[in-house]
Amino acid sequence: MGCIEDSIGGYRLERRTFTRKLVLAFPIILLLIFLVYPVLTVVVKGLLSDSGSSFAEVISSPSIQFGIQFTFFQALLSTLLVVTLGLPGAFILARLRFKGKSLVRALMIVPFVLPPIVVVIGFNQMFGAYGVIDSFLMWLQSSSLSVFNLATGIPGIILAHTFYNIPLVLLLVSASLERLNPEIEESADLLGATSSQRFRRITLPHILPSLLASAILAFLFCFMSFPIILAFGQGRFLTIEAQIWNAFRFFDYGKASSLTLIQIFITLTLALVYVRLGRKSGNNGGATASIKTIEFRQYRVRERMLIIAYVGMLMVLIIGPIVTILRAAVYNPNNGLLTLDGFSNLLTGGSHGGLTHLVNSLFYAGLATLFAVVLGIPLALAMRSRSKIIPTFASTMILLPLGVSSISVAYGLMLAIAVPTGLVTNPWPIIVIAQTIIGLPFSARAIEIAMRNIDQAVLDQADSLGASRLQRLLFVELPLLAPGILVGGVFAFAMAIGEMSATYLIALPQNYTLAVSIYNNYATRHFVEAGAAALILVIICVIAFLVMERISEGSTTGGAL
Amino acid sequence: MLACTPISDKNMAEYPVRRDPGKIITVIAFVVILVVAAYAIVTWWKPRFVVYTYSSFLDWGDEGADIVLERAFAPFEAQYGVDVDIILLDSDANGIISKLVVESSNPIADVVIGIDNILILQEAARNVLEPYVSPNLNLINESFVNALDPDHYLTPFDFGIVTLIYSTNSINTTTHPQLGNLTFADLAETSLASALVTENPHFSSPGLAFLLSQIAVYEEILHEDWTSWWDSVKNDIDVQEGWTEAWSVWSNDPTKHLMVSYGTDPAYSSSWLGGAEPDTYVAPFYYNDEPWAWMQVEGVGLVKNGPNPELGRAFIDYCLNATVQMEIPLNQWMFPVRTDLALPSVYQYAIHPDEINMLNDLLNSTVISANLTIWLDQWDALRTP
Repeated sequence: MGCIEDSIGGYRLERRTFTRKLVLAFPIILLLIFLVYPVLTVVVKGLLSDSGSSFAEVISSPSIQFGIQFTFFQALLSTLLVVTLGLPGAFILARLRFKGKSLVRALMIVPFVLPPIVVVIGFNQMFGAYGVIDSFLMWLQSSSLSVFNLATGIPGIILAHTFYNIPLVLLLVSASLERLNPEIEESADLLGATSSQRFRRITLPHILPSLLASAILAFLFCFMSFPIILAFGQGRFLTIEAQIWNAFRFFDYGKASSLTLIQIFITLTLALVYVRLGRKSGNNGGATASIKTIEFRQYRVRERMLIIAYVGMLMVLIIGPIVTILRAAVYNPNNGLLTLDGFSNLLTGGSHGGLTHLVNSLFYAGLATLFAVVLGIPLALAMRSRSKIIPTFASTMILLPLGVSSISVAYGLMLAIAVPTGLVTNPWPIIVIAQTIIGLPFSARAIEIAMRNIDQAVLDQADSLGASRLQRLLFVELPLLAPGILVGGVFAFAMAIGEMSATYLIALPQNYTLAVSIYNNYATRHFVEAGAAALILVIICVIAFLVMERISEGSTTGGAL
Repeated sequence: MLACTPISDKNMAEYPVRRDPGKIITVIAFVVILVVAAYAIVTWWKPRFVVYTYSSFLDWGDEGADIVLERAFAPFEAQYGVDVDIILLDSDANGIISKLVVESSNPIADVVIGIDNILILQEAARNVLEPYVSPNLNLINESFVNALDPDHYLTPFDFGIVTLIYSTNSINTTTHPQLGNLTFADLAETSLASALVTENPHFSSPGLAFLLSQIAVYEEILHEDWTSWWDSVKNDIDVQEGWTEAWSVWSNDPTKHLMVSYGTDPAYSSSWLGGAEPDTYVAPFYYNDEPWAWMQVEGVGLVKNGPNPELGRAFIDYCLNATVQMEIPLNQWMFPVRTDLALPSVYQYAIHPDEINMLNDLLNSTVISANLTIWLDQWDALRTP
């Protein structure tokens, strides 16, 4: 990007670099105002004021210690399960040749982007008391009471987290497998390596960075988990995030701040490791897509059985909870009747009606997506800057929203932005800001990946043909970036529309979104209303990803991870 | 997103018709500004008189909260020429205090309804309220003021008796004779403990009342360590987040027979059944051959530095008028603090304050405020798996 600078006069150069710096700095300044400053305000205020517990009290409290241990324990267990269950799938996805593969690949990401509260509904419907499996077992044993319930306590939490994060392993590892040049494996074969040697010496080292990256991401998401904990934790198995929420609600600001600090420390460490791995794996070349694929019938019978069993298990675990949301939308377990009340609620206006929540959801998420993309472009540029400090700084800023408690962010936005400006009376702009922050890591990352693939020569050509910076941006860069922007936008949209905790904290009743109303309805056992709203969110997410797949032609799925 | 459709079209490899992305961006920007402006105008905040309360406020009657609130507060709106905006926050009273704390540097609410005699002992609650002695206090018995808050941060609004309830459709005094003479020791037996639903004392006032009842009985009547009881039942009792959640579990889950709720529930049940004998009964605790329960008094308070303090005071006075107070029994299922008002006939099935000994008398407010955080921490530690 700097190649043309020699040919321009000193004054223009200065002005250009200044504008450039301003553009790069713009999103970072916004993040400082709307993310760092609010969170700092909350943390400092909480630690300095003498309301509530001190840091030392928090650290030494047995229930907090248990919470921290539990947060680690469940995240670790979930990650192990995600890797073990996901790895075979990644191989199948990379090696097996079948029809509609790109569609399957596109749909594979859906569990990852589903709002957590929707996953809760699906899980209850599939694995919970009086759910699909339970109903079947009750019928078998002709029992009128529930006999099977996996959607509660630790099993519920771990299973839901596995469901959520398996796509990470499937997509990241299979993409890395596809980049493995088949000639290397063939040479190993020729040189007489056994298949286990080949795996250990060639395949494993090749996929290791992507495997580690997906494991760290999975661990991070499980570590920050909140709605699933709220629904399945029975108030006893609490992550740090859930404890922060409880502390704020019980106005123990000292506790909330201390926990936020502990959490940031742990997650940022993880996030930085992830960035480093990302750099490494980014270096081993572009997509080759020359991977040797095999058709199903070419496998041996035993292998085929294994594949079928594996896919069957994946269907129960992944597809099951999504499909059974259909049942949740029409079946009222309170009286055992089928009903369309859930859908008629979605057509009801007024401050308690589902229609208002739907409109709010689409409006906030739409705006948040737009901002996430507009801010994501300069952030991605900053990440690719040649300076030494700027890329690291920008990457950290982008990862911050993943590692900071969204509840603390929401609380900080209220305290530092909404209250002084009087926006609390009508806090929807604050909700949009919170949702933008949550989607930004995904949009910026997708755009950054797309930027990597732009041929620098094309840009230089535009410059030498005398294009202005704006012309170059509009006619060359943006069109080339379009698929990346689309992917990033869809991810940001999915994250924003599924966001629950921050929105819940900021919103007045007239600002509730579908995700919030699902939680409220679920907690008060208005199951069909919750189910119907969950179904709508699933449909919105699936459509968004199918559209993305159609337009970007399958080249970029998972590009925001 | 719209911008990319024409560009990444399949004929990209040939010479595409070059469209100016600048135009598309302008169009998008224009549409976005239009939509945002429309949304902002529709939801624009008009200054009005704001009351914060919890979501189920006056919402348990046949008519629903909208009609009842209109009937109760329309005369006030007419008299003072204001719009009263009662914001039903989807949270418990703690959450309301938490919100008031955040907003304390620039409050938008003038009045808050629903903070009770335990929550007001918290410093955070006192910090966001302004004491006010209403001239209408002469309409009510002074004992309510003393039970709720002698410092007048709150003015009594309604009260209720927190006790255990059960449905006679699932258990009764024949199947479980101990229900007629219940002690915590009876309740600790697995058969009853696993049938009990209560609420989290951190977030729910009846849940906290139940915890304090248990502490009062163990520390002041039995003179035993209160934690032993919770230790013995921790794996059996179902602790739900709030009263609404607990009520849903109790009324839908066939294995849950007992719930920590209010002494007016039999009256509610009778009203639900059209005035017939109720199928919900109360089971107060019996010690020294006397029934015991916890009294909860809910109050209305003036928000400190609220935008309309004069109107706020007038509103608090107004809350003690018969117009508001008579809506309480059948819509809030609490007793109005105006004891001079006649109660509906179904209230013959409720337990009345004069029929019961109050456990509050055993734990005075000084003891509670000094120990509450410690007790809750201990309770957390007991429940930690």
